[in-house]
Amino acid sequence: MLRASVLERIAIAIVSTTLALVIGAGIVALSGYDAVEFVYSLVYGAVGELSNVAFTLRQSTMLILAGVAVAVAFRAGVLNIGVQGQFVVGGFAATLAILFLAPLLPGNALVGVALMIVAGGAAVAAGGAYAALPGLMKAYADANEVITTIMLNFIASGVVYFLLDAYLRPPGAAAPNTEAFPDYVDLPGFAFGSPSFSVIGFAIALLTVAVVYVYMTQTGSGYDLVTSGYQEPAAKYSGVDPNRMIVRTMTLSGMIAGLAGALFAVMILGYYSDPNTFPTFGFDAIAVSLLAANNPLGVIPAGLLFGGLDAGGQYIGFTLDVPSELVDGVIGLIVLFVAAPELFRAAGRYTGLGGDDG
Amino acid sequence: MSAVRDALADRAAFVGGLALLAAVLLAFLVADIPGSDLVTVGAMERALQAATPIALAGIGGLYAEKSGVFNIGLEGFMIFGALFGAVAAWTVSGGDAVGQADLWVGVLAATLVCGLLAALFAVLLIRYEADQIVAGLAVWFVGLGFGPFISTIVWGGVSSPSLPNIDNVAVPVLSEVPIAGRLFFDASPLVLFTVLLAVGAWVVLFRTRYGYWVQAAGENPEALDTAGVDVNRVRYATLVFSGLAAGLGGAVLSIGIGSGFTGTGVTMVDGRGWIAIVAYLFGNYNPLGTYGASLLFGAMDMLQIQLQTAGISLPGSITGLFPYVAVLVVLVAVGYTRVPAAVGEPYAKED
Repeated sequence: MLRASVLERIAIAIVSTTLALVIGAGIVALSGYDAVEFVYSLVYGAVGELSNVAFTLRQSTMLILAGVAVAVAFRAGVLNIGVQGQFVVGGFAATLAILFLAPLLPGNALVGVALMIVAGGAAVAAGGAYAALPGLMKAYADANEVITTIMLNFIASGVVYFLLDAYLRPPGAAAPNTEAFPDYVDLPGFAFGSPSFSVIGFAIALLTVAVVYVYMTQTGSGYDLVTSGYQEPAAKYSGVDPNRMIVRTMTLSGMIAGLAGALFAVMILGYYSDPNTFPTFGFDAIAVSLLAANNPLGVIPAGLLFGGLDAGGQYIGFTLDVPSELVDGVIGLIVLFVAAPELFRAAGRYTGLGGDDG
Repeated sequence: MSAVRDALADRAAFVGGLALLAAVLLAFLVADIPGSDLVTVGAMERALQAATPIALAGIGGLYAEKSGVFNIGLEGFMIFGALFGAVAAWTVSGGDAVGQADLWVGVLAATLVCGLLAALFAVLLIRYEADQIVAGLAVWFVGLGFGPFISTIVWGGVSSPSLPNIDNVAVPVLSEVPIAGRLFFDASPLVLFTVLLAVGAWVVLFRTRYGYWVQAAGENPEALDTAGVDVNRVRYATLVFSGLAAGLGGAVLSIGIGSGFTGTGVTMVDGRGWIAIVAYLFGNYNPLGTYGASLLFGAMDMLQIQLQTAGISLPGSITGLFPYVAVLVVLVAVGYTRVPAAVGEPYAKED
């Protein structure tokens, strides 16, 4: 989608992020706040203390997983903007599995592990199925997947909220939350001492990246996926059905998004709640994937960076007067700059700092 | 060739529309809903109001895409329009007792600010050849972040306090006409303006030389260039127009018909910018068709009130999803049949 060499991509990613942060700091200064304190708090909030690092890694875990989900689709030429919806549906499926199976089984650690595996499977299946829908619509009815997936995001949040509110809210509860999961359904935290971050969760995200990377670069099926996105005629010639590839791509992308949903429900929440109040990991993941040039391995540093930004932004929201929404705007600016590599080439030519390949 | 393709596309849209209508009728029969309770003058009035912001953004987006640039940032421009309309009206009034004149200043300011933002966006897309889809998404994200951010700076919360909206205007004589009088001539002036804009946009696009330039910029930019018209200039103009129109649409939501800016969740625009894109696809890139499609989505949006008066109680969280489901049905029925040939391709003059 965006033509540039690897080195150029890295440079664009760094410059885009820096530029967006500088503009963010400028806006902070213009709004009458202290820009230096803003930047300091952003960094301190991300890595200043062990608990802040845990929070960063927790956000990064979600962003890496959701980012890989986006990257898989974008790499194959399909724009899956519906990761947020697939994430919501996946988390809901995991919640249903846990809440319905837990009372039928004895409560011990082994059952907890088994429940989490079943919940993960349910989430993967649900996320994949929900993403297959827009894939089918694109492949066989030529419906633009950007719009269908965004509509399905709204529909996922609405329907899950309705089911939660009407059927899963414990009697007498004020908030539309499900019952809490049993204690033994949780990932252990290990060194970080944070109840909502687990090294295992982070490891699952990294493992997913590795699996996706191997699949896309080392297997015939993954190769077909990527070529059908970029060289449809060539893929057709070698006997690959591009419509089936679209559906397969979307399903794979949604399965990963579903897994992210399960991790969100089990590791972070420990119950399920109104999806309209969830963090927008699925949208931020688009920025993560773009910054990584849709490369599965690149998603790891990009996810860590955005996790840090997210954690720093929330810290700022607690400690300074500056509204934390600013960070969302900065993330939007990063995407905007990443979309226009030509901007940087022109700037490079103008300043004589390179970019002379244009 | 292209006439045949047009006719086929028209037929596809027509069949799609019929299918949707049949589905709705079938739903009514199955659920045994009395139709007379649903189609009332009040319902039409609400549908027209709900259609107005969608139609405005849709007509703007249509012009941009006709000229060869896909403005997928409509949702973001609407967010900025809704926000700046409220901010400007509130600021001009000095913070209390927002009057009618202040509201009109707000509408104007929102429109102009979004035109300016769209001009910047156009430079990025045209001059710097940014990826149109990704940059358009980025506009949405920027709106989702900076909308509530600016609101917090101005009002201390992601939403504005409750603001008044623009009064209905009764046109003498015409407002006495049965039904149409109440719908158009004793209504929000913005509703009437949007109808006139749709008609005007149709005339300009299909009956003037400038309209042919817009179409040529999207279908065959080389030919337009050869004829001595600057393709990119036409595209700048249509993109700025789409920003102006989407900004106005946003202001209609916050202070034209609604009562202030709401920045929670995905903000008060709530997907209408995306629905606007589908409205002009469904309307087959025809401003009048776009208005008709917007009316359909507007009616879907307001269906809950009708269902309630008909004694059918569905939870709001479900009826609120009707427009999104309608969008999916329309997209699947119509598909992406008739995109202008040069959409998405930056045009560089051969020197």
